[in-house]
Amino acid sequence: MERIVLVGKPNCGKSLLFNQLTGLRQKVANFPGVTVELKTGQFDQFEVVDFPGTYSLHSLSKDEEIAVEKLNLAVDDDDTRLVVCVLDAARLERSLVFALQVQALARKNNKAVVFVLNMIDEVERYGLDIDIKALQKELGAPVYALSAKTLKGVAAFKEALPGLAKQAQAPTELNIQLGEQRKFIERARAINAEYGIRSDVVLKNQNRIDTFLLNNVLGGIAFLAIMFFLFQSIFTWAQPLMDGTEAAIGWIANTLTGMIGPGIVSDFLNDAIFGGVGAFLVFVPQIMVLTLIIGVLEDSGYLARAALICHKPLSLFGLSGRSFIPYLSGHACAIPAIMAARTIESPRKRLITMLTIPLMSCSARLPVYALLIAVLIPKDATFLGVFDLQGAAFFGLYFFGILMALVVSTLMNVFTRKSKELKDMPFILELPSYRLPHWKPLFQRVLNSGVQFIKRAAPVIFVISLCLWTLGYFPQGAGLENSLLGKIGHFIEPIFEPLGLDWRYGVAMIMSFLAREVFVGALGTMFGMSGAEKNIAGLAAQIQADGLTLGAGIGLLLFYVVALQCVATVAMLRAETGKSRIAWGLYAGYGILAYLIAVIAAHIF
Amino acid sequence: MKTLWELKAKQAAVVETINSQLTGPVISRLQEMGFSEGQQVVCVRRSPFKGPLVVQVGDCVYSLEQAVAEKINLALAS
Ligand SMILES: Nc1nc2c(ncn2[C@@H]2O[C@H](COP(=O)(O)OP(=O)(O)O)[C@@H](O)[C@H]2O)c(=O)[nH]1
Ligand SMILES: [Mg+2]
Repeated sequence: MERIVLVGKPNCGKSLLFNQLTGLRQKVANFPGVTVELKTGQFDQFEVVDFPGTYSLHSLSKDEEIAVEKLNLAVDDDDTRLVVCVLDAARLERSLVFALQVQALARKNNKAVVFVLNMIDEVERYGLDIDIKALQKELGAPVYALSAKTLKGVAAFKEALPGLAKQAQAPTELNIQLGEQRKFIERARAINAEYGIRSDVVLKNQNRIDTFLLNNVLGGIAFLAIMFFLFQSIFTWAQPLMDGTEAAIGWIANTLTGMIGPGIVSDFLNDAIFGGVGAFLVFVPQIMVLTLIIGVLEDSGYLARAALICHKPLSLFGLSGRSFIPYLSGHACAIPAIMAARTIESPRKRLITMLTIPLMSCSARLPVYALLIAVLIPKDATFLGVFDLQGAAFFGLYFFGILMALVVSTLMNVFTRKSKELKDMPFILELPSYRLPHWKPLFQRVLNSGVQFIKRAAPVIFVISLCLWTLGYFPQGAGLENSLLGKIGHFIEPIFEPLGLDWRYGVAMIMSFLAREVFVGALGTMFGMSGAEKNIAGLAAQIQADGLTLGAGIGLLLFYVVALQCVATVAMLRAETGKSRIAWGLYAGYGILAYLIAVIAAHIF
Repeated sequence: MKTLWELKAKQAAVVETINSQLTGPVISRLQEMGFSEGQQVVCVRRSPFKGPLVVQVGDCVYSLEQAVAEKINLALAS
């Protein structure tokens, strides 16, 4: 298919223009181990490829190197008809440095180039205008002024595109060779001096808002308020959606098994498919809500400010300011959090952030915490006479997770400081103008987050779910205690002995590898209770009567804070780092650490 | 000679050189982002506890941490 390539500097409005051109159907290609993401969509008979926004063809990191390599290949490719360089009309000089480099690259490959002068609505709002005809002459290529936001000029551009793409490009003399980096900078400056608008006009608004949002006191309060809002939304707003998904899955399971009638097939569908795979689908709405809010923060320009505010404190632990949002998201679910870590500029800090995210207490741990806290702490006990002790214990567990993450990242930072493979990039962050986000790219992004999550995690979840079900189901009719899984539990009981736990807990812990919240249901089954998820108080009473010691209980809680009991996260880490060694190594490492902490706790208390 | 890191809030200056302790690619990226010789920079704000500073360079506003800002040498504004 004939191809159109879209490039531009970050925040020039490229994503929005891409969406306006291609509509809502698009594909995203990811490459293992790097954050490069190529979006493709369709416009007329053309395939439009959206390249990651960057400042230069000279790469700084491995990710940029791969992005630039892909761009080189695409421009060289015979199917490519046109290269569209998107410029931010209000920031002509900065956008031109990269655009001129791409123009030179396209010329070298005899490809046609067109410049899009986006954000023209902003220029007009200031009552200014840009001499398009003269600029066109200066650049030696067609220039289309438009606004991807207000759609002004977009129709004309769409109309012209097929014609532009068909224009055979005669080999042109390069006026600047690709290697002459200084000349691009000088030329961009000269063109801007001639045609650009005055920067203090553009930046006045942004700087005014920043005097408030970056203020030492008010900015801090605004930051806390926004993060509190983010945190609330993933729990309270996502909850009805999650409950709805759960109910829907339950309903489908019931209907289907009702039609088939009792037997092994229906048991399989009910427990392995709907129980196992369904348990993880419940997280899809939460992930989508989280992605939506992060997307709004990013497109509005606030995300860069949040990173700036957090940078200094987090750098004490070897992290970047951009690690904050992933950490916060990790309290909902590690998977979107690991995705959010993509924005971290330094590969080393990105890796450290990704590897410590699983220590955040995600929402799958909540049922486990709720059960064990109910077992260990009487309902109306207070701490220092004021705080509800159960609430304080919850808070303590969250805090313990964060503390562990900071300790681990400090250690990882010390041990990888000399690494040649993992380069550090300096923290240079553009603070973009504040803008009202457009729904189209957001919608696209939210949809994509759900699809990506299912694509990446579903296969592993399915396999593990199948294995666990087989082990727990056979020999048929024997019940969980006498099943293969029960036998394995008895066999490995000595491992759980130092924790003060017996085989029943061991089996529940193995089963919770699928997703942590499975622990509650599995333990319920071991105690002869069905539907324990809905009756945590009842199960807690049974466990109390059974005599779980305080030390073993606390150990078990701390085990769940630290252990990486989630195959979906392991699969995600494997995809993002590109190395299964790292993902499974981390699984083993946190498992051993969690075990040791639990043993110590069992002996202290 | 003064570095960008020593700039106080609201102060302006002109970029002179970039310290060659930074690697080649980082230096050229800084130049491409606007920190090239003769470019005027204005410190928009300083963060407490030696946090990243905010500077306006041409048509962009950037936030830089100490490690980078220290490596950008300035000539005092006229
Ligand atoms: N006013 C205005 N805003 C725009 C225009 N194009 C994009 N934006 C907004 O600018 C912000 C950044 O755009 P985005 O497409 O994410 O930029 P990208 O980094 O190049 O992909 C978003 O909030 C967009 O809604 C435009 O033509 N005019
Ligand atoms: Mg974008």
